[in-house]
Amino acid sequence: MHIPDGFIPLWQCAIYYVILAIALYFSLRWARTNLDEKRVPLMAVLAAGIFAIMSMNVPIPWGTSGHIVGGALVALIFLAPEAAVIVFTLVLIVQGLFFGDGGLTCLGANVLNMGIIGGCVGLYTFKALHRPIGKVPAIAVASWLSIFIAAEAVAVEMWLAGTFPLVLGLEFMGLYHAVIGVIEAILTVVVILALEKLRPDLLAWNRKNKTADLKAEGSEVTSK
Amino acid sequence: MSPKDKKLIMVGVVVCFIIAIMAPFIASSNPDGLEKSAEQLSTTEESGAYQAPFADYVIPVLGDGPFSGIVALAIGVLIALGLGYGVSAVLKNRNPPAN
Repeated sequence: MHIPDGFIPLWQCAIYYVILAIALYFSLRWARTNLDEKRVPLMAVLAAGIFAIMSMNVPIPWGTSGHIVGGALVALIFLAPEAAVIVFTLVLIVQGLFFGDGGLTCLGANVLNMGIIGGCVGLYTFKALHRPIGKVPAIAVASWLSIFIAAEAVAVEMWLAGTFPLVLGLEFMGLYHAVIGVIEAILTVVVILALEKLRPDLLAWNRKNKTADLKAEGSEVTSK
Repeated sequence: MSPKDKKLIMVGVVVCFIIAIMAPFIASSNPDGLEKSAEQLSTTEESGAYQAPFADYVIPVLGDGPFSGIVALAIGVLIALGLGYGVSAVLKNRNPPAN
């Protein structure tokens, strides 16, 4: 769902760049207080992984293709959409600059859809649902919804840009990404369960419980 | 970096390389959802104002085959990894609480 150069008039691109600048301001502030030494390798691996999955277009019906995004995944690992904003800004710069995937003029819009909207929808849907329906179903629904809503946001932006008619755009983008969303949900659940098993210390929700008594005892590993 | 973190990076890079190696074989050359919608709904064309050196994830000197695609993706994975590491290292909390 990378918007290429030419699909959005430049004055609208400027608005999306302003939104990106505001999001980056808050994300850098988040990083200064919440991103510690231990999570630097995790951020690096997530950037590499998001690049890899977003570069591979899997075939879907109707003669089209699509890629999973991973915005919900990053936001859920850190329990912060700010982490997704940073990761997606970096990955989309690499994809646009070196591989011509996503226009550089549309960088602001692309980060808005996949990082900001993807991350926020994923995280807040999970937060709303994990108690009533359980953790794993909540991750699945949240990640499916994150890519679906991101795709519909693209349709709205295309309508604002005068590129697509609104209703048909919503239908096409929604249909394609409802299918890709199933793969997105599977991937997100698998990666989070794998981290939960192998490196639970990297998941923010395991850390949250411990920060309260962090001062009392310095050990993060003992409670396994 | 702790051995655990080294392992995380190793495993992450291996998984990404596996995706890179499989990608040229499973990836679809069909237009993606957005391009397809654009074909059906609009006359807008990609402007092509900026030409990326490895457009469409192929390395021009290596031709169009799967090998070229694998190399392009592997390069991209390493750039993303390096950039992710460098930028997070700069942004991170400089004065972490002692623990």
